[in-house]
Amino acid sequence: MEKEQYQQLEQNVTPKPPYLKNVAKAFLVGGLICAIGQAVSLFYIIFFNFTEATAGNPTVATMVFFAMILTGLGLYKKIGQFAGAGSAVPVTGFGNAVISAAIEHRSEGLVLGVGGNLFKLAGSVVLFGVVSAFFVALFKYILVTIGVVSW
Amino acid sequence: MMLPLLVVLSLLNGCAEKEKFIVYGSPQNESEVEALINEEDYVDRSTVIQYDGSMLVAVQIKPWEKWKKTKLEKKLQKKFEEKYPNKDVFVSADYKIFYEANKIKKDQIEDNKLSDKITELIELAKEET
Amino acid sequence: MVIIFQSKPSLLAGGVVAGPLENRSIFSQYFDSVYDDERWQMKTNEQGHRKMIEEACEFAMKKIGVQNGDIDFMMGGDLVNQMTPTNFAARDLEIPFIGLFSACATSMSSVIVACLLTELGAANFSLAGASSQHNAIERQFRYPINYGAQKPQTAQWTVTAAGYALIGKHREEFPSIEAATIGKSVDYGMDDPFHMGAAMAPAAFQTIQSHLQQRNQKIYHYDLILTGDLGQLGLKLLKGMLVENGVKNEELTLIRDAGAEFYGQDEAFQSGASGAGCSAAVFFSYVLQQMRAGSYKRVLLVATGALLSPLSYQQGETIPCTAHAIEITMK
Repeated sequence: MEKEQYQQLEQNVTPKPPYLKNVAKAFLVGGLICAIGQAVSLFYIIFFNFTEATAGNPTVATMVFFAMILTGLGLYKKIGQFAGAGSAVPVTGFGNAVISAAIEHRSEGLVLGVGGNLFKLAGSVVLFGVVSAFFVALFKYILVTIGVVSW
Repeated sequence: MMLPLLVVLSLLNGCAEKEKFIVYGSPQNESEVEALINEEDYVDRSTVIQYDGSMLVAVQIKPWEKWKKTKLEKKLQKKFEEKYPNKDVFVSADYKIFYEANKIKKDQIEDNKLSDKITELIELAKEET
Repeated sequence: MVIIFQSKPSLLAGGVVAGPLENRSIFSQYFDSVYDDERWQMKTNEQGHRKMIEEACEFAMKKIGVQNGDIDFMMGGDLVNQMTPTNFAARDLEIPFIGLFSACATSMSSVIVACLLTELGAANFSLAGASSQHNAIERQFRYPINYGAQKPQTAQWTVTAAGYALIGKHREEFPSIEAATIGKSVDYGMDDPFHMGAAMAPAAFQTIQSHLQQRNQKIYHYDLILTGDLGQLGLKLLKGMLVENGVKNEELTLIRDAGAEFYGQDEAFQSGASGAGCSAAVFFSYVLQQMRAGSYKRVLLVATGALLSPLSYQQGETIPCTAHAIEITMK
């Protein structure tokens, strides 16, 4: 059997990923996570001296804490299998990436294991987040300078 | 997991039924202030707390207009400053400030404490982190 | 390339040890031991992996009543970098040892080498097998265990199991190895590490075809042709290729796949099981026991392996695969 012929057969046999179903699941779970995040944020605004602008930091910390508990209990991977991007995109997904790597590499010691591998998965998120933030800011700065928009 | 959600939803619903514009404090110029805010259609609800020379305008902006929150805040600030040049006006669209302003009204805080409360809230609103 | 073993070395015993999740396997009743701690009460996954191999070897030896000192050679491998679990197990077992790597086809390549040593007269007893431990393998090839990445339907689940067979000179009452085929490394341009069944199916196809051709056999000469870990999709593809080549539909029922059947129809495991331990565990427990019971007279075992590394697919290389087969008969 030729390669092309086999690839044809492979295309026929392999089930298509259920994109619509995946999108719906990601939307629902992602939305639920964000709703919980909003609730946490309101909690900090109402019961502590945080404004909308400053409540972000403790909210992120709390959401990552939740993700840590779920990752440690082995539940986050199950949510991830169900929700896909829905649980990967919010900050809890970032927390999960960091914490799962930490748990995984605990056996190689604190410095070389946990320290060296903590950002194994999340490192590229940090890197590209910073780089894209730089370029967005640069772009806006240019637009403001030539007077298209204001800050 | 659902409990905080329900609490939040009931909170939001509870607020929506209250009056849209509230003015609280000593100078009796409620209708004037109300008319002033009423001109701006992006304002959903507002609470104004005033005491002597200081005035705290806490507003909530309608959902889709929220993208331009800081700009609208500035616009409103300018408008109030022009209208009341002798007063120390502070406009905020932050939910925390709005929430606390409503609490002042609800708790019927006395005039002598109002001044402190207003300064406190203005300082809070200016915090960045 | 087919090798005919004139002396017909025998598979005297199999030792299979599996992890806790493998309790859900439909083959679990045939395993010697299903441990409820996936680390075998060791500190790390890799140490647990090593312990699992040692226990599997000990089970195999105990069944025939031989000691470590009676074993002339040990052949085996796993999927961890540099195969440390198997190497360390060989250290503790103190048996002359060669590590072999054919990815998930190691169970068969090690049996073939052991048979050659037996045929040569160099070995009275030798141990051959393979193993995999889910956590130790996943962390190396994919993501950390607790990372919430979504696996597609085509993905397979690496099993935690070790299977070792004790191979000795021909004895009438044991299943014996008549011939073996060492497969080519086949690459049909598949590059998805989450769809290994598709990459491995052509290798299995070529090995089966060349074995049958050079042995002058047809599929119906066998009671069972069992592939290692193609998974449900890989098995479908293999059957599809055979049909294209003129194999009749009724013959297709003789072809089964250990990986596709391993966890039953449980959808949590997507396309089925994989890993070097998958084929080893099923071949050296279920198949041997069925043959000794007389259910099968002639069986072709085909273990398939995807010869990739995390580095190779990140560099955009396609996945070459291999398949090794042994033909076992029972009088």
